[in-house]
Amino acid sequence: MGAQVCRPYTVVLIVPTGIGAAVGGYAGDALPTARAIAAVADRLITHPNVLNGAQLYWPMANALYVEGYGLDQFATGHWGLRPVRQIRIGLVLDRAINDELKWRHLQAADAARATMGLDIINYVVTDKPLGVTLRTAASGATWGTLDHPTSLLQAAKQAIAAGAEAIAVVANCPDEEDPETLDSYRQGQGVDPLAGAEAVISHLIVREFQIPCAHAPALPPLPLDPAISPKSAAEELGHTFLPCVLAGLSRAPQFIGRSTGQRQLQERLQTGDIWADQVDAVVVPATAFGGSGVMALSQMPAQIIGVADNTTALTVTAEAMGIKAVTVGSYLEALGALVAHKAGISLEAMSPKMQSLTPLKD
Amino acid sequence: MTTHFITAEIDLCESTGEIQSAISNTLDNHGVPLRWAITQVDLQGRTATVEAVVTQPGRLPDAQESQG
Repeated sequence: MGAQVCRPYTVVLIVPTGIGAAVGGYAGDALPTARAIAAVADRLITHPNVLNGAQLYWPMANALYVEGYGLDQFATGHWGLRPVRQIRIGLVLDRAINDELKWRHLQAADAARATMGLDIINYVVTDKPLGVTLRTAASGATWGTLDHPTSLLQAAKQAIAAGAEAIAVVANCPDEEDPETLDSYRQGQGVDPLAGAEAVISHLIVREFQIPCAHAPALPPLPLDPAISPKSAAEELGHTFLPCVLAGLSRAPQFIGRSTGQRQLQERLQTGDIWADQVDAVVVPATAFGGSGVMALSQMPAQIIGVADNTTALTVTAEAMGIKAVTVGSYLEALGALVAHKAGISLEAMSPKMQSLTPLKD
Repeated sequence: MTTHFITAEIDLCESTGEIQSAISNTLDNHGVPLRWAITQVDLQGRTATVEAVVTQPGRLPDAQESQG
């Protein structure tokens, strides 16, 4: 079957943040998986937790960088995605960031302008410290709240009024993290203590303004530790995690649909717009089927693939949720399943044994 | 606006759509959902635990704004 007669094969890769995913729970360590899937798929839709590796990232022409709240809205069919060539980024800095870290981040943004040619406008500092609070729930997942969410939204609004089409946020994150939790994370174990709070920050802006957003935490450099896991090592390279966020946002798709108001019908007609019913396959950890995105996409025609060896702190399987899915052992096996699915080959036909056909029961 | 972390229990309905509706109805009692996930399932009891962060409107005095 020629590719020219098929629509683009579209895969959504989800690795929820803050649940200790063995692959993707640390510093951009699901990025190799994303690269491999992007080599199989015509279009890959995934989110910052997968693509962000602090100062490391990997631009992919067929990958769409979609923040989690926007991905959930896309999954429900409320929003569509419109690929762009470049968008203008506004930078919002938490007032709580100390002067040295503030300058480090501003220099990272200037470097992204000068070295990568990104369009970044003048920055905004929030009128109050955001007051990020971290929390680990009974499930083991991490979450977070803000003392001053309105200050974050006001700063984003100011940047948007100045022409920003996407928002990069740098928030000061508590440095009184539990040392054992931090050590565990640096050694590629446990749950990222900041992840849940990061998601709340970006979700808030995306929900309010319907534009792309991603977050980089401002953290003081950590003492050298020779035992750092390769999975966490990307966050040990320098003073800021901002470069991957800026690179991702610079080509993040616009959101279109109900919340963009009167233009919806006209926008739906544009070539290249992507809607949830065009998704062919969804790849998710086998124990993370309780997320809003995968639950919504499971009601679409897409093939859902659960990956068993990407263990998480959770135990919410497809079976427990009543979701029809194919479970594979690893991302390598998932890649095979995607290739077969893209080619229109039944996965059952690849097994050593097949059951004979029998009459349908009444 | 304030942000709140909540945990809730819902009945595990037959279909995914019904589960989503049950979550939505439950979270609506606490505010506007920002992020949620089912984090535990009790198959015997047919219930699920939902963890979420919701927002509530209004500007409270600073001392009360943080709800954790």
